[in-house]
Amino acid sequence: MSDILESKTISSFKKKVSLVFNFAIFNIQLRYKNSYLGIMWSALEPLLYFSVLYVVFTGIRGRQEDFAIYLITGIMMFHIFTRGTSGGLASLTSHSGIIQSLRIKRDFFPIFTVTATVLLAFVDVGVFFALMPVFQFTPSITLILLPIPLILLFILVLGLSYLLSIVTVYIRDIQIIWPIFTHTLLFVSPIFWKTNEVQGILLSIQKINPLGQIIELAHRLVIDGTIPPINDWIYTTLFVVGIFVVGYLVFRKLEERIVEEF
Amino acid sequence: MESIAIEVNNVTKFFKISRPKGISNLAKSISLKNQSFKVLDSISFTVNKGDVLGIIGTNGSGKTTLLRTIAGIYKPDIGSVRINGRLSPLLQIGTGFQKEMKARENIVMNGMLLGMPKKEIENKVADILKYSELEKFSEMKLKHYSSGMRTRLAFSTAMQIDPDILLVDEILSVGDRNFREKSYRTFTSFKEKKKTILYVTHNLESISKLCNVGLLLDKGKQVIFGKTEEIIEKYNNINNKNN
Repeated sequence: MSDILESKTISSFKKKVSLVFNFAIFNIQLRYKNSYLGIMWSALEPLLYFSVLYVVFTGIRGRQEDFAIYLITGIMMFHIFTRGTSGGLASLTSHSGIIQSLRIKRDFFPIFTVTATVLLAFVDVGVFFALMPVFQFTPSITLILLPIPLILLFILVLGLSYLLSIVTVYIRDIQIIWPIFTHTLLFVSPIFWKTNEVQGILLSIQKINPLGQIIELAHRLVIDGTIPPINDWIYTTLFVVGIFVVGYLVFRKLEERIVEEF
Repeated sequence: MESIAIEVNNVTKFFKISRPKGISNLAKSISLKNQSFKVLDSISFTVNKGDVLGIIGTNGSGKTTLLRTIAGIYKPDIGSVRINGRLSPLLQIGTGFQKEMKARENIVMNGMLLGMPKKEIENKVADILKYSELEKFSEMKLKHYSSGMRTRLAFSTAMQIDPDILLVDEILSVGDRNFREKSYRTFTSFKEKKKTILYVTHNLESISKLCNVGLLLDKGKQVIFGKTEEIIEKYNNINNKNN
């Protein structure tokens, strides 16, 4: 079969990469079509989250040292996660037309959608760096390790996109539950609170919350200026890779008959 | 060179009858077993290069399912399909298009999905628009296109990737007479180049005009595969009986 997404030569690999990349760009263009501010929303969304939470929590607790940068670190990660998984969730159902009319490997859809998330993440990271001079924050050298938690985050988003996209085809209720779930994560992850300030249930949830774990790694690198202990890295990495593997396997198991569900 | 373009071997396809969803149907949906029915029942035929195969049958006889199985969109439950050459499916018109994007952008996306490098398809955009007679509307979003215009665009794009095998599902009836005649001419030139076409339609006249072989389906079963005249006669018999 001369299907471009199935042959294994180098030139076809290049073609695949170019296809994924181009569809990621289309995906970004499509996302902000019909809005006046367009791609600027990509920077405004995390800034709006930040402003609201910053005003509320400095109002409650008074000014705390480095709180602004602590907050934007978590919001950056949270925003990439939320946008990534909600896009990934819809990646199959919103392209049912293409899936019904052409033969294409199914994982093309979650892959290019997550690629779009990775590209848009540069905007979130840009906002993060732009706020540093505004709040007179001098980062320590450990900041250069920030790409590692970001990569963990992308793997998490890809794994969940595999899982959510395929399950949503069979159980449409997921698309109603997921936004509520991610909204809950904003409160149960260490975004506006610190792990040493909370106890009980919040702390237990934090242990099994991969997003919270990744945010915590980032906080140590950005705010504390220390490299987290190796055990924390291993725990988070295994957790994220585990979710990825489960998502991938479920996708492979269910992908064959999705056309019949549209 | 092999002379066979498509080999369909004992293809059988089941569809699940989906269980009712919703809370009020919960008890019902648990008690019901998964039911399924046969959409295609042991279909076997071979299409040679240069053949134009017309597929006819009443509504629900499995024509579209067969084309989708040959296109690789459905996987057969039993049997196999073998394809020899580059295949371009023209099914369910316009569904591969993004409504919010312009015609020009849609051509590029569609061409890339059909396997063309971006540069190549970008160079062909002008030709495609010209063939489809939609040059004036190239900057218009697809959601403002009529179904006839969408058909023309899809047809023109699919023809430009220069496939060896073309699958066409009952779409040309949407275009106006001018465009229909133009596409018949393209079909004929296709035939002369020893390329293969599978053509689903209810229009018997176009079958006898274009096709050299035919396949008649009835309720998922293969009634006959052979000369177009025989097929049309048999089809008329079936229709008369139903009346």
